[in-house]
Amino acid sequence: MAIVVAESREQAQAAADAILLDIEEWEGITLERAAKGDARVIHPEWAKYVPTFGVDHPVSDNCACEVTAEPEGVDEAFARAAHIVEGTYSAQRQYRAYLEPKAATATYEHGRFVITTASQYPFNVRDRIAQLLAVRPSDVRVVGKTIGGGFGAKLDGWVEPLAALAAKVTGRTVSIRTSRAEDMLTCPTRDNATMTIRTALDAEGRMIGREFSCDMDNGAYSGEMPRLASLPLSIIGSVYKMHGPMRASVRLWYTNTAPTGAFRAVNGVYLYMAQEQHMDEIADLLGVDRREYRLRHLFTDGEKSRTGQVFEDASILRTAFDKLEEHAPWQEVLDGLKPNRGVGIAAGVWMTNPMPGEVTIKMYEDGTASLITAANDNGSGAVSMGLTQIVASALGMNEGDVRSSLPDTDVSGYDGGSRGGRTTAIVGTAALEASIRVRDKLLAVAAGLLEASPEDIELIDGHARVKGAPSSAVPLAAVAATATFTTGSISATSSYTSPPIPFDAGCASGALFTTMSTPTYHVHLAVVEVDEVTGHVEVVRYIVVQETGKVINPVGARGQVRGGVVQGIGYSLYESMRIGDDARLVERSLESYRLPLAVDVPEVEIIFMEHPDPLTGHGAKGLGEAPVVLTAAVISTAVRHATGKSFTAIPITPEDVLFALVDAESDS
Amino acid sequence: MTTESVSFTVNDSERTTEVTGSETLLDTLRERMGLRGTKEGCLEGECGACTVLLDDRPIDSCIYPTAACAGRAVRTVEGVGEVDAPSLLQQAMVRCGGVQCGFCTPGFVMSLTALLEREANPDREAIQNAISGNICRCTGYTQIVEAVEAVLVESGRANTAQGATS
Ligand code: FES
Ligand code: FES
Repeated sequence: MAIVVAESREQAQAAADAILLDIEEWEGITLERAAKGDARVIHPEWAKYVPTFGVDHPVSDNCACEVTAEPEGVDEAFARAAHIVEGTYSAQRQYRAYLEPKAATATYEHGRFVITTASQYPFNVRDRIAQLLAVRPSDVRVVGKTIGGGFGAKLDGWVEPLAALAAKVTGRTVSIRTSRAEDMLTCPTRDNATMTIRTALDAEGRMIGREFSCDMDNGAYSGEMPRLASLPLSIIGSVYKMHGPMRASVRLWYTNTAPTGAFRAVNGVYLYMAQEQHMDEIADLLGVDRREYRLRHLFTDGEKSRTGQVFEDASILRTAFDKLEEHAPWQEVLDGLKPNRGVGIAAGVWMTNPMPGEVTIKMYEDGTASLITAANDNGSGAVSMGLTQIVASALGMNEGDVRSSLPDTDVSGYDGGSRGGRTTAIVGTAALEASIRVRDKLLAVAAGLLEASPEDIELIDGHARVKGAPSSAVPLAAVAATATFTTGSISATSSYTSPPIPFDAGCASGALFTTMSTPTYHVHLAVVEVDEVTGHVEVVRYIVVQETGKVINPVGARGQVRGGVVQGIGYSLYESMRIGDDARLVERSLESYRLPLAVDVPEVEIIFMEHPDPLTGHGAKGLGEAPVVLTAAVISTAVRHATGKSFTAIPITPEDVLFALVDAESDS
Repeated sequence: MTTESVSFTVNDSERTTEVTGSETLLDTLRERMGLRGTKEGCLEGECGACTVLLDDRPIDSCIYPTAACAGRAVRTVEGVGEVDAPSLLQQAMVRCGGVQCGFCTPGFVMSLTALLEREANPDREAIQNAISGNICRCTGYTQIVEAVEAVLVESGRANTAQGATS
């Protein structure tokens, strides 16, 4: 790799244009080719590689990770099956298309790197730079900036190590700003994948056995992908109960394409798409109503998933179906469908990323507080609205009087990154605990000033006040200042991580994780209209029933749901980072990469089911990822319902629809 | 590189600047005038992050030559409101959750400010059409549309005839 460093964009461009690359062309290896297992080995040295996650997950030749489950009795189940249903489903890559392309600035002075970057996970960027430049993590300081959208793309280092290297070599401050085209070429996309589900049914229509396979595209280099190869095992089989074993094989393949990576709700979007299309196919074959068939297979409280995780609250999913039924009775929706319209219904379980987070709260002598954390707002407002709100209410302060600072790895404690819906739940818990400790310190000092015992004092409206005696009060400014000049300034630090969840270690081999931390339950419904002339699919109605834990900020929560659903509409119907036969990305600009616009989106009807988590502060659970998870599932099944044709490849473009309709005509 | 001198108003003040032949208004605003509120999202006229008003009409400043602005009036987000005194629309955008990461927001504010000046009481479709050149990846658009509707209610325009010009 070569980096050009110059004093202006024009200079850099001219210098880059002057470089002649002599590239020996090799055959492109795409997922289809790699998954056959006999393609040229992309990394001949693979056996010497350091495993991405410290543990040695199974790797071989072009297979970057393999997770398998081989329970007994699968073949017997198929042998005695009354019916067998089989489907193959696939999904294309999705570009995150955050509005702010990646950028970073680096300096190198006195043996230390200082990097300024809009990162979702500053500590990860720090560690990546240290790894690539072979220095200690403490030799790198990463300072965060506000993030113009990330959706997972800004969790790992990419522009930052380049800027750091250039700063060291030149001895100057170096900035990198990617153009949109560069960003599209280098940003790891949501992975493309192909899945096959084959289910054996007995005469009563029960699912008595299953074979499931999933081939995922890793691209040429691995970031988080090997970890994500464990997820299919948790998802296929966590929503609908089977009455028999499932053989599973998940393979993540090296291809010589641009790398893939974790995009909001990762592979959940296509796994649920496959699972729900498959459920519709089974229900149709059996002649059972699609909703009814799903209801028959829900888990009850305390039942174990296929990976051995006990879902204590599994019946929430049934309640979610009930809520949906109250809001939009299924039969009424079916009866009311206009011509060319169809409806899809889907259910899912999603998780909250359990990684640790830390918060320090520091009182200022003017009665305001600062919230110091490496957790950050990736557009969610989880820190600047959610966390500050948690602290302000615990300390009886106005929201504007609690300010969050941007991450700084020299100052803030470790944080697991803005992802997986974890910030409000995990870091919010740390924030609440730290607030309680700050409150106790404030009360102790106020007790001296007010000549009352701490238990009799409350913090309210920026004051410490004797309960029941509003005239006996001192401003927090006075309390904090007194503390600073007597016992010491007031601050407290707390950290939190979700406790590990017991699971069945023998459920699979090669899995890096097999449980869903702090699960939440979801049911979606979509009505689509298919234009027979243009093939255009319009989503005309969309309903989300989402179990959420405690909602901390309702406006922000609704915004997360709407934003997630619209990303899912794009994923299902328009967005596709195509890979050409030469294994190169076809899309180079937003002109050909079609994103949803305001005119494309329905009003999303949202029903939150609050069900506070007993462990997290205020009972928050992950909220921001789940809304995208079921979009492709409901939209693809609705299109199937509208047209009578299966659309097993995502996105469903107007061309796909027209081809299918023409096919249907020639059949009849 | 040859430069030429161009004069136009930016947020009501007269400005004269030297620009190179093909320089875009976005570069002039951000790099020469230090007005960084206008954002760069794509440089190809696709995303609307760089939207400014030229003689009250929204344009993509990333593909608009500064030389073509001579004698005309440019307005940027810096001219719409102040940090301490945001416009009604800006306040509503925050309150209604029309802002998440905020990178698209200046562009939306410009497109919608133009709409609110052009029409007394735009309906939902008119609002959606007014922002059809602006991409927001975070919000899903609904809460941006709701912010405009909140402004119409607040400013007493919601009951006037729809589609009329103000
Ligand atoms: S930056 Fe001008 S339209 Fe995207
Ligand atoms: S708020 Fe992030 S792109 Fe619109």
